[in-house]
Amino acid sequence: MQRGKLPIVKKNLNKLVLLLTALMFILTACSQKSSNSSNTTESTNTTESTAQAAGDSEPLKIGVILSFTGTFAPLSESIKNGLELYFEQNNWVIGNRKVEIKYEDDEANPQTALRKYRQLVDSEKVDILVGPISSSVINALRDPIEKDKIVLIDANAAANDVSWGKKSDYIYRVSFSNWQNGSAGAAYYAKNVGKTAFVIGPDYPAGHEVADAFIAAFEQAGGKVVKSVFPKLGTNDFATYLTEVASAKPDLVFAFATGTDGIRFVQQYKEFGLQGKIPLTGPLELGDELITGPAGDAAEGILANAIWVPAIDNDANKKFIDAYKAKYNKAPNVFSVDGYDSAQLIHQAIEKSGSKKSEDLIKVLKGITFESPRGTITIDAKTNNPIQNFYIVKNVKKDGILQEILDTVPNVTMPEQAPAK
Amino acid sequence: MDLSILFVQIITGLAYGMLLFMIAAGLTIIFGLLSVVNLAHGALFMIGGYFTFTFINQHLNFWLALLISVILLAILGMLIERFLLNRMYGKELEQVLLTFGLIFIFTDLVKWIWGSSPKSISIPPLLDASLTIGVVTFPVYRLFVVVVGCAVALLLWYIESRTRIGAIVRAGVDDRHMLSSLGINFKLVFAGVFAFGAGMAGLSGGLGAPILGLYSGMDNDVLILSLVIVVIGGLKTWKGAFIGAILVGMVDTLGQVWFPSFSMVLIFALMVFILLIKPSGLFGKGVDA
Repeated sequence: MQRGKLPIVKKNLNKLVLLLTALMFILTACSQKSSNSSNTTESTNTTESTAQAAGDSEPLKIGVILSFTGTFAPLSESIKNGLELYFEQNNWVIGNRKVEIKYEDDEANPQTALRKYRQLVDSEKVDILVGPISSSVINALRDPIEKDKIVLIDANAAANDVSWGKKSDYIYRVSFSNWQNGSAGAAYYAKNVGKTAFVIGPDYPAGHEVADAFIAAFEQAGGKVVKSVFPKLGTNDFATYLTEVASAKPDLVFAFATGTDGIRFVQQYKEFGLQGKIPLTGPLELGDELITGPAGDAAEGILANAIWVPAIDNDANKKFIDAYKAKYNKAPNVFSVDGYDSAQLIHQAIEKSGSKKSEDLIKVLKGITFESPRGTITIDAKTNNPIQNFYIVKNVKKDGILQEILDTVPNVTMPEQAPAK
Repeated sequence: MDLSILFVQIITGLAYGMLLFMIAAGLTIIFGLLSVVNLAHGALFMIGGYFTFTFINQHLNFWLALLISVILLAILGMLIERFLLNRMYGKELEQVLLTFGLIFIFTDLVKWIWGSSPKSISIPPLLDASLTIGVVTFPVYRLFVVVVGCAVALLLWYIESRTRIGAIVRAGVDDRHMLSSLGINFKLVFAGVFAFGAGMAGLSGGLGAPILGLYSGMDNDVLILSLVIVVIGGLKTWKGAFIGAILVGMVDTLGQVWFPSFSMVLIFALMVFILLIKPSGLFGKGVDA
């Protein structure tokens, strides 16, 4: 130990306070993107294709933009798993083409997404895009997509406007819209659970869209919303809101809560003694493995309107679940289904049109029908949004939490235009 | 508003504040002696939570799992101090870069080992109960967090003012050159203090996990709030962190009740306000000393 190594410390605390404050704001601003790693992996083909001459054997390059860092990481991972499962089942070929996937991480940030989009389209020259998670990202990508005329299969972003005011011939949604997710179960809840509802949704566009759709549908079904609150996205502690619920004594609570917020919400709902006392209902997230898995027993008894649950009885679903479990050693969730269906939709469109050119693809994508693990899905030519069944499910405890189907709301179709307010 | 509801909100705010206090205390103790702003403190908090989660999954009970993760975190802290940080004393920018870089390493490691799907820990059976106050029900676990927070504050006070270690640390905060000329092994003291701070992060991570859940990105959420607390309370003093944390917890909770859309802004407004009247923070000592 040398004496000279004694630390010399500048006592300039002012500078440090300044530095700290600046850092804090930077951190707050970018708290969504906790790391900057770009998640680029290339799926290498197992079989080298030899015939390169003909146009229909050129490889198909798919660019995938998802949010691999931050709150939406689990959703993105699930979509990626679903996509890869499908292509693996098809040996990474469509017809004579081999399939390549390029992944990019948009960190749920529209600016980053635009940069990654340019990278995929300009440098990588991808043929078709899959993504994004966040509605703000799809809003940012919409105009460049129209300009570049490149097809985007929307695997998750649920913004209503993608089907209404900002509809594009190049964007097709396989998942669901906020309008569908908010309104599908409302009539059932009003009829079978109760007439007064307390609505909770995160304070960002999707939260408000789901809540608005629910409120409109619930009131149309003769219900009354006593109060609606919007905690900020990423709320740690729902205690204040749960206390308000307890004192408002509604017949039911309708809560839109996603990702980690959802898990915390469900657990705290139990801790504050509301589980079993005031029925908890919600959109599809509350009846999905991604929340019910980690939340465990606290998720028991929740009613949700789901588009997919393991209990849906059809061959495609059974095969999907078995293959997913065999490959990933865990249960799939609704987002893995969306990833799987995105891959399936691309496969069908390419086969049907016999081309990978956007102009040929969009001719077959409008009104296309495919066999999803959800059941038969048709992409509505009027909104480019899927027409699909919603299932009213209840979380029951059986060797973990599973969903029991109580009722089916058939063919939930988005209106062609935004409902008048 | 019903009185019982107000009471519950206050307890909620206190519980949240106490959790933040335990996080911020580690940060400020390290800063006090080592003059290092450990930006990786949030990441250590996160790792503490994930460790506890892992040990519980190995069928250890909650308390044992918590204890082991606190010890492991202290060891990790010791390693960080001995092998990385000790090269950077006195170089503020390098420290910021180092600890900021550690955040990336730790968050990616966590994602690599535990995956990106959120995890959760159930409340230990002993405390898995609810109290009913008026019309509302309140989980006992949060009361327990308040009690632990107060106990930690008492312990810190005792160590600081009544023990030899406390005296050494206090002396080091005031004048570290003098400390080493008194024949005290400052390397050991520094490593020990950093380990203690890291252990505190581990403790709060384990205790907080049943309330906050575990997810990648949680480190950032708490780091921002603990930095706010440290700035409000005053650098170098855990007492400041104590008051600062209670203030932030209260403002956050009651803000959600009365001004639901502004609760985050309120916290920063509070910080700006306090810095305006007292630039060194509530308990900060001489800024330009």
